Amino acid sequence: MNSVSAVDVSRPALHRRTLSRSLRGSLKGGEYTWALAFVVPYLVVFVTFVAYPVVYGLWMGSDASLYRELFADPIYQSTVVNTILYLALGVNVKMFLALLLSGFFMRPGRWMKALLLIFVLPWAVPQISTFISIHWMLNGEWGFLNNVLYKFFHIEGPSWLNDRWMALGAVIVSHIWKWTPFWTLILLAGRMAIPLEIRDTARVDGATGLKGFVHITFPLLANLYLICTLLSTIFLLGDFNAVNFVSGGGPANSTHVLATLGIRDAFEIAHPRLGVAAVMSALPLVIPLVIVLMRKLRTTEVQL
Amino acid sequence: MGHLTRRSVLRGSLVLGAASVLPVPRVARAAPTTASVWFAQGFVQDEDVALRKAVADYEKASSNKIELSIIPFAPERQKIISALTSGVVPDVLDSNPNEILQIYAWQDRWVDVGDVVESQKGQFSETAIESSTAYNNVTKKRAIYGVPLRAAVVPCHIWRPLVEKAGFKIEDIPKTWNAYFDFFKKVQDGLRKQGERKVYGMGFQVTANGVDPYNLFIAFLVAYGGQGIVTKDGKLHLDDPKVKEAAIKAAAYLGGAYRDGYVPPSAINWNDADDNNAFHAKLMVMDVDGTLSTEVAMKEKHPEWYFKDMVTHGVPGYPTDNSGKPVPAVVGVTQGLIPKGAKNVTVAKEFLKYFIQPKVLSEFVELGLGRWLPVMPAAAKSPFWQDPKDPHLKGYVQMGLLGPTLPDYYVYNLAMAEVRTQHVWSMAMIDVAKDGAKPEVAVDKAFKRIEEIFAKYKAA
Repeated sequence: MNSVSAVDVSRPALHRRTLSRSLRGSLKGGEYTWALAFVVPYLVVFVTFVAYPVVYGLWMGSDASLYRELFADPIYQSTVVNTILYLALGVNVKMFLALLLSGFFMRPGRWMKALLLIFVLPWAVPQISTFISIHWMLNGEWGFLNNVLYKFFHIEGPSWLNDRWMALGAVIVSHIWKWTPFWTLILLAGRMAIPLEIRDTARVDGATGLKGFVHITFPLLANLYLICTLLSTIFLLGDFNAVNFVSGGGPANSTHVLATLGIRDAFEIAHPRLGVAAVMSALPLVIPLVIVLMRKLRTTEVQL
Repeated sequence: MGHLTRRSVLRGSLVLGAASVLPVPRVARAAPTTASVWFAQGFVQDEDVALRKAVADYEKASSNKIELSIIPFAPERQKIISALTSGVVPDVLDSNPNEILQIYAWQDRWVDVGDVVESQKGQFSETAIESSTAYNNVTKKRAIYGVPLRAAVVPCHIWRPLVEKAGFKIEDIPKTWNAYFDFFKKVQDGLRKQGERKVYGMGFQVTANGVDPYNLFIAFLVAYGGQGIVTKDGKLHLDDPKVKEAAIKAAAYLGGAYRDGYVPPSAINWNDADDNNAFHAKLMVMDVDGTLSTEVAMKEKHPEWYFKDMVTHGVPGYPTDNSGKPVPAVVGVTQGLIPKGAKNVTVAKEFLKYFIQPKVLSEFVELGLGRWLPVMPAAAKSPFWQDPKDPHLKGYVQMGLLGPTLPDYYVYNLAMAEVRTQHVWSMAMIDVAKDGAKPEVAVDKAFKRIEEIFAKYKAA
C-alpha cells in the first residue's frame, strides 16, 4: 500500500526544527543572528584559503598512476633519502645547538645583549640572497672560500658542490646557520619563563651547572623543545629555498628533497599533478607529526 | 550620533559587502577589444623595448588594446603552467619554453592558429612552420598551434685575446668537429703554461639544470651522425647503430672533456645563465650556447669586447662533421600561442597576424639587437643582418636561417620534450664526466630511460 501517514508528512519539518535547535544551542533570538554574522566571514575565509586548496591538492594528487610514475623516476629514491637526512640532521642539530645557545644567552650583562643582536642577524636577513651568496662562496673555481684557502694556505680547495654528500652537507649547514637564531630565541624565551624561585631553590639544593640543567631546566623545557622540534620538522619538510639556491638540487639531481622535486616535476617537467604527488608522498610522515603536535598542544598541565 | 544596533551593523556590513563586489563586473566586463599578452623578459633591455614598440604600433593601427605583461623567463614558465592548470589564461603567450607548445597541444589546450600562420605562410622558413605544429591526442591529429615569432640556434662563442695569449690565432682553429674542439684543449694547455690557473678551454654545460645541456648534447649527437634518432613520423630509432654510435661519441667527448679537466668543475652545477657569466668573466676560452645573448649583453657596456674580442662561430666558423660535411643547426622557435579559454581569441589572432607581418617581425628581432633570429629567410637579407661591420650577426643568421636547419626533436614526438626536461642526456654526460662510467654504459642507461618515456606517449 502506498498511503502516506500524517507522521511521515510531518517528519521533515520535525527534522528541520531539531537541526535548527541543535545549531542554535543555548543561543536565543538575536544572539543567533549575531553569532552567524561573526562566523560566516571566518567560514568563507577558511573554505576559500584553507579547505579549498587542501582539497584541490588532495584531488590533484589522488590518481594512483601518478605514484607509479613518481616511483619510476630514477631520482625519487635518492630524493627520499635526502629528505630524511635533511630532516634528521637539519632539525636535530639545529635544535640541540639552539638549546645550548639559549643557555649561553641567559648570562647577564649588556655585552650579552649586543652579542645576541649580532647572533640573530642570519635569521633577520632575507634568505634567498644569503643562500645565493653561499652558493657562490662555495664555487670551486672562483668562490670566496677556495680563494681564501689558496691565498693564505696555498691549498686548492675542493669543488664543494660537485659531490652529492658535500652539496647536501652544505645545504644542511646553511639551513642550520640560517634558522638556529630563531629557535634559540624561542628556547631563550622558554628558559626565561622558568620562575626564579625554582632555579634558586634548586641551586640551594646543589643542583647547579649540568645537574641543574638535567634535573630542572631540561624537564621544564622538554615540552617546548618537543613542540619546537615537531614544528621545525613540518616547516623543513616544505622548505624549498635552501636546496634550490645552495645546491640547485645538483650535482646531477642528486640533492633534491621532496619540496624541490615537486617544483621540478610541476614546472620543469610541466606535470603539476606529478609535482603535487611528490609532495603528497610525504604525508605518511606529516600526518603522525601533526597528530603528535596537536596532542602536545592540547596538554592542559602547566608546562613550559 | 545614532546608536549602534544589531540591525545597523548588519545593514552596514551588507552595504560594504555590496560595494566591494561592485568593481568586479567592471573588470570582468573589460572592453571586448582588449587582449592580454604574456611574454618573457629579454636578456637585454632592447628586447623589451622592441616588444613594447610592436605592441604600441599595433594598438595605434587598430582600435584594440593590448595588456602586455613582460615576465622574467623562469617565473613566466611557472605562471604559464599555473594558468593552464587553473584555466585562468591570457589571450596570447609565448612558448616559454618552446616545447610547451607540444606538451599542452597533446592535451588539446591550444587554439588552432593555422589561419594566422596561413596569412604569411610563404614567408616562413620550413623549419619554423614544422616547429609550429604539434600532435593533439584528443583530436588525434597534428595541427598548427603556434605562430613562429623568432628563433635561436647554438653557435660557438670564443675569446680572441685568450686564444692569442696561448700563442694561437683564431684562424688556426680547425674546421672539422673533433679537431675544432680539441684545439681549445691546446689553448688551455697553453694558458696553463702562462700561469692561468683557472681559465678553462671549453664551457660545456655538463649539468642537469636548464635547457643548455640538452642543446649541447643534441648539437654533438647530430654532428656525429645521430640525426635520425627521431624521424618526422615521430618514431624513435634507438636501435639504429648510427644513432647509438653518435650518442656514445657525444657522451664520450663531452663527459671526457670534463673528466680530463678542460671544462670548469662547477659546470656540473651550472644553470642557464652561469655559463654566460663565466664566459663574461673570461674564465673559459669558448662556450657553446644558444642565441647571441653572450655577445649582445656586452654591446653597450663593453663595445670593444663586442666588436673586437668576442668571436662568434656561426657559418662560417662552426665546425663541419668529422668528414667535412656541414652540420645542420637544430633550431628552437619561439611561438605565439593562444590558450583555449582565452577571453578574446579574435583580437589575439588579429594581434598575431599583425605581429607576423614581415616588416613588423623583422623590426622586432632587429631592435632586440639580433639576440634572436628571424623566422623568415627574406629578413636575413636586411642591412642589419648583413652589416659588414658587425662581427657576429651575418654568421649567426647564416647558421640558423639560411644554412641547413632542423626543428628540435620534440616537434616530431612530444616524448623528446620530457627527455629534455628530465635531463636524460645530462645524466649520460655526467655519468662519464664524474663517475667515470664507460660511455657505452651511460648511453645504454639513457636509452632505457628514453624508451620508458616514449612508452608514455604511444599515440604519437
